[in-house]
Amino acid sequence: MLVKYLLATIVAGLFAGILLTPAMYVRNVPLILHAEEYENAGGHEHSHDTAAATDAATAESAPQAVAPHVHEDEAGPELPFGRLGNTLLINLVAGAGFALVTGAAALFLGRRITLQNGIYWGLAGFFIFNFAPAFSLAPELPAMPAADLAARQAWWLITVLLTAGGVYLIVLRQEIWTKVMGVVLIVAPHVYGAPEVEDLTSPVPPTLASEFAVSTLATNLFFWVVLGTALGWAIQHYAASELEG
Amino acid sequence: MAAARTSTTISLPLASRLTTAVFSLMLGVFIIYGVGLSHSETLHDTAHDTRHSYGFPCH
Repeated sequence: MLVKYLLATIVAGLFAGILLTPAMYVRNVPLILHAEEYENAGGHEHSHDTAAATDAATAESAPQAVAPHVHEDEAGPELPFGRLGNTLLINLVAGAGFALVTGAAALFLGRRITLQNGIYWGLAGFFIFNFAPAFSLAPELPAMPAADLAARQAWWLITVLLTAGGVYLIVLRQEIWTKVMGVVLIVAPHVYGAPEVEDLTSPVPPTLASEFAVSTLATNLFFWVVLGTALGWAIQHYAASELEG
Repeated sequence: MAAARTSTTISLPLASRLTTAVFSLMLGVFIIYGVGLSHSETLHDTAHDTRHSYGFPCH
């Protein structure tokens, strides 16, 4: 087991997760909070949040008095670190997760992530995990109309896997037919199409939704550039000796 | 040029990196599933803002 390599990837992931948190609070979280005002006022509720019904009912008579977020009810099942604390915790964990997957991919492929090429690994991760799925399944705000959750998750997962395969075939293989296959893999889920909802009526103004889609992509691009570069740096500094064979 | 090429590849044989690669991949996938896709209510509510911000399908 290449322990130093694993630790280096986790450190890089935690670092990127820390930086993601303030980046999210520049635009994304304010937009989520803004959308939740419409979510509560419009009587929409999370299907799995029983407390939301009461909130929504209150909201119709006094929209200003309602709590800004249904999940902040005392009975909410989230971890008790507050909204910012929970998000920071999840970002740290998520950063480590994406770092581990990226580090694993590099190990499988026999490629080394360095300070110089780290940004390209980051851009590949952004393309695979964020840009490609968002092309047909735009990042959603709370209360936006959406198709069945399980169907969207399945489409998201399949798109990520196909895109990863496509990026590998295009970037790391030399033959022309593999590059063509790579393009086919990347395009296929979009030709098939993401699950769609029939009724597009939404309590959230479309301007908010478009602002959110762009701001999340920009934020995630930042996250992946930091993660890729940090991976290169950490692996070079802490794990180089392990990779010499 | 040759030096530049070797610096971006790993000379360690595949057999020596496979265990770490598999372990790292499984741990990473497990984490990403928990953060982004799990239907657990606690995980959903805790990860709520990150899920939306990251573009995971949510709700």
